[in-house]
Amino acid sequence: MNVKIEEIDGNIVAILEGSLDTAAAAETEKAMNPLNDVEGKDIIIDCTDLAYISSAGLRIFLGILQSAQSKGGHVYIKGINDTVRSVFTITGFSNIFEFK
Amino acid sequence: MMSEMVKLDAHGEMLLQQYRELRPTLQKLSDEAYDLLSRALREQGIYITAMEHRVKTEKSLTGKLELKGAKYKSIDDITDLVGLRVITFYTDEVDKVAAIAKRVFDIDWKESVDKRKLHQLDSFGYNSLHFICRLKTGGPRFELQMRTALQHVWSTIEHDTGYKGDVKIPREYKRQFSRLAGMMELIDDEFSRLRMVLTDYRRQMLALVKNGKLTDVPLSAETFRSYLELHPFDRLNKRIAAVNQAEIWPVSVMSYLPVLESFGLETLGDVQQFIDENCDEAYQLALSQLAITDLDILSSNTALQYLCIVYVLKHDGGRDGLKSLYDLINGESDANGMLADLMMEQAKTLPFMR
Repeated sequence: MNVKIEEIDGNIVAILEGSLDTAAAAETEKAMNPLNDVEGKDIIIDCTDLAYISSAGLRIFLGILQSAQSKGGHVYIKGINDTVRSVFTITGFSNIFEFK
Repeated sequence: MMSEMVKLDAHGEMLLQQYRELRPTLQKLSDEAYDLLSRALREQGIYITAMEHRVKTEKSLTGKLELKGAKYKSIDDITDLVGLRVITFYTDEVDKVAAIAKRVFDIDWKESVDKRKLHQLDSFGYNSLHFICRLKTGGPRFELQMRTALQHVWSTIEHDTGYKGDVKIPREYKRQFSRLAGMMELIDDEFSRLRMVLTDYRRQMLALVKNGKLTDVPLSAETFRSYLELHPFDRLNKRIAAVNQAEIWPVSVMSYLPVLESFGLETLGDVQQFIDENCDEAYQLALSQLAITDLDILSSNTALQYLCIVYVLKHDGGRDGLKSLYDLINGESDANGMLADLMMEQAKTLPFMR
């Protein structure tokens, strides 16, 4: 699982690549941790190359969302495939995030 | 400097000099009185439109002294050197602010005026409650004006157009102002009355919800919110969560209100019936989806989501109905078509679809 964080057009973009399963969660959480410190900018999680997301991955996303919302920020999820989208939907989180 | 343009007599000049020496004290008083009152209003939960405070300018005082300087023996006799103004939404809140001000400040009752009560039965005009106050710790007196937003609008416009002093306003125009003041008073009273009616209505509805008389309660954002305090989806959420021993992540369910309204549910009784009639099938559908995964986190609107899906399918909404449902829940997107297909695929094996 690869995570790259960049600033693009004034937004903080996290580009995820691979499968965010339970085994990869701890490492991914550490790599995405800087997103919890973002203030005054929107966060985009680019999931174009994310093959799968587990419950542990959902928890990471939810933590980032909570942190951003408490500072008045937005978290957008970009480019998710059908598998990842269906995970968001069957767990009832599809209308909690903003999808691009 | 204004005092150079306006000729004051020796007494007026003496008062003006006293004012200049007192000015730092007045500024401190203005800030302190404002802080004390705004804190007290906040603590009492009084929601006001605005609160202003100011120290009278030298220009304004000079004008006043030119007109009626002889009336004041010393600067202490001028009670509006510091002024606070509280503007409320409703007429009854003027009285609440007054009650709080009485507690926070010492009121000079001889000088305080309720201009709202000064009018003759057949006249209308400037309506405002004025207190002359002093801090409990002593110091100069100051004026506190309390009025509604509409009273403020009226008196500001009336002041702007009527007191310029260059031309005498004809009687017919003054009468037009009075007519508007009467109308403003009527509107103020109607707003207060309407608020009281709505508060009563809300109380009645909430009591009905608490007593379980849900069929009498129309479905609205407010009633739905109080219905949620009864945790109507908890049982189904826990049942679904038990499939994978999942954690339930609390989120707002309010975004589903438009969905329930789109189903034609008109009362909380309808919502309760909707839950009762669909909860077993909603559980079956959730079970069929979750049991094949190891997902152990669910949002607290999961139960309601599956209830809605089942409702659409039972009412022959089919794939298009599900797509419309997801469009309502998630916002319109082509991806919702894929979700609808996925759900149709899962649901078709369930008994209620046969």
